[in-house]
Parts: sequence; structure tokens; C-alpha cells
Amino acid sequence: MTTFQWLVTVAAVCTLIAPEGRLYAQNEQKYKVFLDMSYSGNTWQAAAANGIKALAATPPYDKMIEFKTIISGTDVQRQISDIQSMIAAGAKAIILYPLSPTALNRVIHQACSKGIVVFTYDSTVTEPLAYNVSNITARYGANTAQWMVNKLGGKGEIIFNHGVAGTAVTKTYDEQAYAIFKKYPGIKIVGDFYGNWNDATSQEEVSKILAAHPNVDGIWTVDGTYGSLQAVVQNRPNRLVVIAGQSNNGYRLMMADPALQAKGLQGISSSAGPAVGGYAFKVMMEVLLSKKKLTNHNVEYPLPWVEAKDIKMCSGDRFEGGCNVFPEGKVPPLFLDTALDPKFLPELSLDAVQTGNPAAGAMVQPLPDPKYADNLPGINCQECKAPADALEPNLVSPIPVAK
Amino acid sequence: MSQSTRGQRRPIPSSAFAALLYGIMFAIYLLYSPSAITLAGITDLLNNTIVLAIAAAGLTLVILTAELDLSSVGVIAVTNVIVATVSTKVPGGAFITLILVCLIGLLVGLINGWLVAFLGLQSLAATLGTMIACQGVALLILEAPGGEVAAFIMNRLTDTVFGFMPVAGLILLLAVAGWLLFRRTRLGIAIYAVGTDALAARLSGLNVKATKWLAFGLAGMAYGLAGYMLGAQTGTGDPRISNSFLLYVFAAVAIGGTPLGGGRGGVIGSVVGAGILTVMQKLLFAVGVAEFYTNIFNGVIMIVAILFGNLSAILSLRQKAIMSQHRDGQLVPN
Amino acid sequence: MNDILTRSLVSSRTFKPETLTALLVLLGAVLMMLAMKVLNPGFGSVQQIAAILTTSIFLVVAAYGQGLVILLGGIDLSIGVVMSIAGMMIAGLTNGSNEALTWALPVTLISCTAIGLLNGLGVAFLKIPPFIMTLANGTAFFGVALGITAGSSQRTVAPALQVLMSAQIGGIPVPIVLIGWFLVAGSVLQSRTTEGRKIYAIGSSLAAARVAGLPIEALTIAAYGVSGLCAAIAGLLLAGYSSSATLDMGDPFLMPTIAAVVIGGACVTGGRGLYFGTFAGAIFLSALSTIITVLSLSQGWRNIIQGGIIIIALILQTKQWYLLSIVNRQLPGKQSLDGVLPQNSEV
Repeated sequence: MTTFQWLVTVAAVCTLIAPEGRLYAQNEQKYKVFLDMSYSGNTWQAAAANGIKALAATPPYDKMIEFKTIISGTDVQRQISDIQSMIAAGAKAIILYPLSPTALNRVIHQACSKGIVVFTYDSTVTEPLAYNVSNITARYGANTAQWMVNKLGGKGEIIFNHGVAGTAVTKTYDEQAYAIFKKYPGIKIVGDFYGNWNDATSQEEVSKILAAHPNVDGIWTVDGTYGSLQAVVQNRPNRLVVIAGQSNNGYRLMMADPALQAKGLQGISSSAGPAVGGYAFKVMMEVLLSKKKLTNHNVEYPLPWVEAKDIKMCSGDRFEGGCNVFPEGKVPPLFLDTALDPKFLPELSLDAVQTGNPAAGAMVQPLPDPKYADNLPGINCQECKAPADALEPNLVSPIPVAK
Repeated sequence: MSQSTRGQRRPIPSSAFAALLYGIMFAIYLLYSPSAITLAGITDLLNNTIVLAIAAAGLTLVILTAELDLSSVGVIAVTNVIVATVSTKVPGGAFITLILVCLIGLLVGLINGWLVAFLGLQSLAATLGTMIACQGVALLILEAPGGEVAAFIMNRLTDTVFGFMPVAGLILLLAVAGWLLFRRTRLGIAIYAVGTDALAARLSGLNVKATKWLAFGLAGMAYGLAGYMLGAQTGTGDPRISNSFLLYVFAAVAIGGTPLGGGRGGVIGSVVGAGILTVMQKLLFAVGVAEFYTNIFNGVIMIVAILFGNLSAILSLRQKAIMSQHRDGQLVPN
Repeated sequence: MNDILTRSLVSSRTFKPETLTALLVLLGAVLMMLAMKVLNPGFGSVQQIAAILTTSIFLVVAAYGQGLVILLGGIDLSIGVVMSIAGMMIAGLTNGSNEALTWALPVTLISCTAIGLLNGLGVAFLKIPPFIMTLANGTAFFGVALGITAGSSQRTVAPALQVLMSAQIGGIPVPIVLIGWFLVAGSVLQSRTTEGRKIYAIGSSLAAARVAGLPIEALTIAAYGVSGLCAAIAGLLLAGYSSSATLDMGDPFLMPTIAAVVIGGACVTGGRGLYFGTFAGAIFLSALSTIITVLSLSQGWRNIIQGGIIIIALILQTKQWYLLSIVNRQLPGKQSLDGVLPQNSEV
């Protein structure tokens, strides 16, 4: 026999003797649930994944599901390949962070047609059979821009910190923010850059722009807020800015610091938080276990919205009694306070979101009815129309435009 | 082949060793995931491989001439967004877009070739520049993932024909057949000669500059085709460049037995190399490797695959040395 | 006179043709800034220049290692990962205390140098192509770091490092002073020591170096080790600058280190290039990115301009060689092209 014939024979024999689904021992009572991450190695993704892992290991889910995490990396074809592998391995539910709102539609459709429940968190897909849980429809761009305009009294110089170019999130938020800023002739955007959601990059770029425009009044960011503010604190410590952005612990501490407020710091802590992952997981499990039936496939996770006056220091390891920031040194400055959600995710503790281990003695609590999201064509739906006021803020009332 | 080689064994091409490694990996994958051998499983695997395979095939042409080309991901981004924006807007869109992306890829490739061969710029740096510029163009055409690829492209090209043959597999076979013909043409032979020893090639009358220029051009056309196939796989356009994909393309070429210094190897090896990288991911999933270890395994397996390829290169060189003692050996490309 | 000037430029041992390239690149950076100042009077203030220089230190340091490796004809694709690992290690180990620096600093530096040495071993002994070896190694260690930290950002960096990056000496920010010092030290190490010159030789012609009995393997390993060390230092500085560390903080720096080395006149196939050139390339890129930001263009146009300028810079460099070689041919006497065309004239 030739080599080729040998190989074919060996392969055929292996097919016959290979036990069915060897390493994923088919246990009839347990549901196979997969978490598919694309980006990895950054604070946000780590906190979201840890939250999901901790919930998956919290009773009663720990006995009901067989949970596995896969990191597909940043190449969309690899994510497609991994989801196909999950389908072949007998998945019952998949929760993922999709790399593209459209490229995964075909494979997700395949999964859903086989009865697999597919949920996305934070980043959405336009496939109608998938469920999206996100606050991308909560108008972060419009709300924060309007908040800044109100604080600035309708006039001032602004630095614009874009996120990663070429993403649906950046396009949506930028569009909303620009629409608001354009309405007020007194507002001037003197510099913009692509911070790529990275604090070090943001710090570098803001310090360069600040050097050329010493009278900047405000900075608009989606992420990289801490770095942007650091640049101002280091280069112009006696005159701080109005700033909108993320919910890093260090940033919230600075927002609440009376000494910095006296120098002009006014901040709003918002932006998508990692807790959306844990929330999406809980919703998915309720759908999987038929405890809930969703009439709309797009669920809106509330947008975090914390102003300086709302900031309250926590004394323990949990966000209890309305507290929403940890003292300095307890967590790293870049720790995202929005990894914890006392309302929807009471089962998560600080340790849970930092390590992925379940909190001792926790039991999964049922969720209230979800709030459904607006349609955003190209973001979470295909043939649909956005509401007429999609670019208007819905958390902040606009001040009148000065004539 | 010339008469004097009749009856003597040809040296084993390094792509054969890559194919052996692929066979082993596929067998292990099959062991853990029996559905891999079904038509759907094979079609999926080929669909996952084809973009990387075509891009690696194109890159091989450049590497054979002892140059480097980073622009593959840039061209793929541009052609992918073009497929997603144009193919549904024009009658006969699938075919017209195909011509269009091949022309655009060819154009970018020829620009690269002009910069490197005629202006004498270093290929790594010049193609880094064109890659960045191409991504800019892609962002201008489509600023966020979206668009729509014509149904024909999306559905037919990822499906099967004749009931048993995945279209992706058919395309790869055509590519391999095309390569087998190409490497015997004057340009094909010239590419090897230039990569082996550019000075000797020039002294023996070959136009080194034109050869490199055309190699870059053909590579660009291949990247355009890869972007087209990416549109078929994903059904949409995406202006972002995946840095990891760029490195996979180089890894596929190196694993397939084409050394980055040029002069040896071939497209077949690169296509198999692309297959190895794709099935490796399936293998790691099926075996149940924990998520953190995926990266470590990716790294280690790449190194092992190269060592495997080195082994094959040593063996094949030894064989060629022996053979050249017996006849007027022309270096036989694989 | 023109020919005397050229002849002195060309034949002087201290003023190699590569120095001219580097100076031209710096000149290009200055010209770009002047052009921007014309368009935008607020641009180019002393503070802004200081900010540009300060933020270029990470690239200046990391690109040194990349430059050494490229001199050998190799490339190091693990620099971004090593920078991130160094930043994560120093932040995690010091956890806001200065005392911990005494042992955390050497531990971090040694670990990252070890990653570089591993690269060198793979390239020198296993004969794995540097592209793949450094890529695979970086990927693997990223996986290790991911497994250990789960990607969470680390604790606060030791205050001493933060102060280092924000303090001033006599009105000049400390990082700028460090850059100057690093430039001198790096240039001396690369071009003036015997080891440095041997690296030039190896990069120029591997066969000739082998015949001459140079310790090729040892120097290769050492060069990659130094690259790991430089990436580690850059990571430390970055962690000090941003007072925090994440596992992806080094990613934006990898491609720029390659661009800086190449724009600065080094030949990717090895054997040619001064650290001064890499340094000039790093400053050039830093200035370029500032200008692109000031122009407030969409990311698409930013990329197109960036790519175009890299290509233009390369074309200008090549033109300069042609010019020098033409000028050289006009000189009286038998002056061969060898004195002008880039070769490792020091070896």
C-alpha cells in the first residue's frame, strides 16, 4: 500500500473507534455553555469575562451547566471557526463578544437554527435570531455631549478623544456627540485624536494638544478618560477641565476630590461597563431555562451615569448602600467600577470580578423584566429604522442655544 | 523532465513534509471531533482556510524573489470593503466586482513593485507604508463594518458544487493547478532565479527589476482575490486590519517550507501552511485546551512546524546535492 | 569647496554617510513642524515640543533594541508584548511602594531580558526565521501573562517611577534628559565598541563573519537579549508615565519601532544603520503623529498620510545615496564607490 492509502486507512479506523465527543463527555443533565471572547488582555474584557465566569460557577448554575471559555483572538474568521466548533461540540448556549456586527451573521444563524441560544454582550450583531444585550442604544454620545455643553454654558474649547476607528461603537457615539456640539456655535473642537480606548495613548495625545491649546475647557472621551485627565493634571494642574468618560475607580476618586473640584474639575462617569457581560449571561440563562421569553431580541442595559455629587465611598468589598467607588489602594486606578452592578448582579463581589471565582454563599437572583432597546440599523438590526430622535439626549435636558 | 532523470527519485519537496504535518494534525482533530469528516465539516474547514491560503499564495511569489510584503492585509481590507459596497449595486455584480478587485490588487502590487524594484526602496518599509495607506483608503470607503455582499458571492462561493465538492476546495485546486503551470513559465523560473542569486540572474540576462515588479503585481492580485473571498465568508465589509492575520500569512508561508530568504519553496507549501494554521485552531478547541493556553500553544506549534519544515529543507537539500552529482541538475522548483 | 566638503564628509571616520541620513531625517521633522507652524500659529510652542519629545522616549528606547536586531538582519516582533509584560510586572510587584522597587526592578528587567535571550536562542541555534521566532515567542508569553493576570490591570506603579517621568531638572523634563543620555550611550555601544562593530559585520555578510571567526551565535543571542531589555525599560517608563499598566499597553509601539529604524536609514537586510538614525526616525514619527492630530482629519486620511510620508522618507533617502555617489564620481583620483556606498566602514 502506498503512504496515502495507509493514511486513509488510519483515518477511517480512527473514525470508527473514536468515542463520540470524547473530551466533552455528554452529560444529559448539563447544558453546554460557551463564552467566546475576541479581544482579551485588557481591563474591560477581563472584568466582563470574570463576571460571567463567576456567575457560571454560582449555585444553582454551577450544577446545571458545563461552562467553557474560548478566546478566538482578533481575526473574525477565527471567531467564525470557533463558533462552528462550538456547534459541532453540542453547545446549547453561546455568549460572545462579536468582532463585527455583520460578519458573524451566517454562523450565528446556523447556530440559532440548531436551537442554540446565542447572546452578545456590549458589542452587537444584526442577525435577527441572536439576542443583543448592550447599552449602545442608550445614546452615550448624545447624553455626555449635552451634559458637557450644559456645564460649559454653551461655549468653550473641547478636545475630542475618539475610540478605535472602524468600529460601529465609535461611529455611533461620534455621530451623536458631533451632532450635539455642532448645535452650539460657542463650542469649538480644537483638537481630536484616536485614543483607541487606551489610557497611555490618550495621555500622550492630550498633553501634546494641550501644549498648543492652553485654554482647553473640556475633553470628551469614551475611554482613556483617566489618561486624558492625567495629562491635564500634570501639565496644567491649576486649571482642570469638564470631562466625560469611563468609570475607572481612579477617575471617580478624582471626580469626587474637593481639591480637584476647586481647580475646575467637573466629571461625569458613564460609558459601557463590564457588568453588561454578567447581565447578558443571566438573561441568557433565564431564556435557556425557559424562565423568560423575550419579545424583542435587543435588550438595553442601563447606561451608568454617575456625577460627582453621586459618588459615595465603599467601606467593604461590595457596592452596598448606594456606594460606588473604592478607596485608593484597594483597587488599581484603572479598575472599572461598572464591573459591579448591585441592582442586577448582587451575586458578584469584588473578588469575583477580579478572579472569576464565585462569591462565597452567593445564589443567583432572578432578574426583573428587561428593557428593550431602540433599533439602530447596522448595529442591532438589518431592515429597520432608527427612531426619529436617535441623535437626541434622553438623560439630560439641553440648555437653549445662545443667540 | 529530461531523459537523464528517468528512473531516479525526485527530491521530496518541502511542501510534502508540511502536508504530512497537516495530515497528522487533521487526524488528531478528527479523533476528537468526528463531524470533521462530514461534507459540512470539510466545507467549513476549507471556507475557514481559503482567505489565508490565497493571501499566503500571493505572498509566496514575493518571498521567492527574496523580498518582503506587508501590504496583504491592506489590500484585503480595501477589496473587502469594495465588494461590500459595490457588488449589490451593479448588475452582474459578482463578476464585475471580481474583475475590479483583481485590478485594484494588481495596481497596488505594481506600485509596491515599482517602489521596491525600480526606486530601490527596502521592501519591508515600503510595503509597511502601502499597508497603512491602504487601510486609510478602506476607512474612507467604509468607516465601520457593514455593507452588503451580493447573495451570489455569499452563498454560492461558500457552498458545494456537484454535490460533493466544496467551492473553496475547487478554487484551491485551481490555484494549485495555476501554480504548477506558472512555475514552468519564464516568469516563474525567473522568480526563483532572482531569489536565489539576483546578481547571477542579472548576469545571465534576466531582467531582475521587471521580475520583481511582476511578482509584487501578481501577489497584489492574489490579495485582491483573498479580500473577495473574505467578502464571501463574512457577507460584509470591514475596514479594520487584523495584525494577527498579517502574521498568520507570513507564518503560513514559512511553515509551508518557503524560507523567508527566498529562492526555494512554492505556493503549494504555503497553501498547506495556511491549512495547518487553520486546523491548528480547530485542533486546540477539540482537544479542550484551556483558554489561556491557546496562545502558548499557538506559539509553540508555530515553532515546531518551522523546525519540521527546516528538517524537510535539510533533507531535500541533501537529496538535491546527491542528485546534482548524477546529472546536469537544474534546481527543480516544487 | 564642494568637493572638499564631500570628500571630507565621505572619508572621515566619524562622519559616516548614515549620519547624513539621520540629520536629514531630523531636518525633515523640523521642516514638518515649521510648515505646521505657518498653518497654525498655536502649533510648535516650547511646551508642545517638550511634550513631543517626552512622549517619544518610549519609542526611542524600544527602537534601540529593534535597531540592533535589524542590524543583524533579523527583526523583533515581541517588543510590544515585552513592554506590556514589563509594565504589568513592575506595577504588580511594587504595588505603590518605593521600597519594593529595589528588588522588583531587577526581577522585571531580568525576566524580560530572558524572553529576549530565548528569541536569540531560537534564531541562533534552532535556525528559526526571526520573524516567526519572535512572533511565536511573544504570542506564547502573552498567553502566560494572560493566564497569570487574567488581563486585569495591575496595581499602582511605584511613585518613584511616576515622579521620574513627570519631574524636571533645571526646567527640562527628566525624560528629555534621559533621551539625550540614552542617545549617547546607545550610539557608543552600537558603533564604538568591538561587540557593536562585530554585529555590523555579521549583518553585512554572514559568510565573511564566519570566516573571520566571529562569535555569531553569542552575539545574536546578546542582541535579542538587549532588545528584550530595551523593551522592558520602555515598558517601565510607560508604566511610570501613565501611572498604570495593562496587558495591551505596548501594542501601539511595535510597528512604529520598525518604522523608526527603517526611516532612520537602517537596511533591513542588515549591516547598515546608526542608532542616531533610529533616534531621528523616532522623533520624526512622534512629530508626524502630532501634526496628523493637529490637522484633525478622519482616521482614514491620517493613515493615508502616514503611509505616504513613510514612503516619501524612504525615497528621499535613496535619492541621497544616488546624489552622493554621483558627486563622488566627479571627484578627482581613483576614489572607488566603496567609500560612499553604505558598507560597514568601521570593520
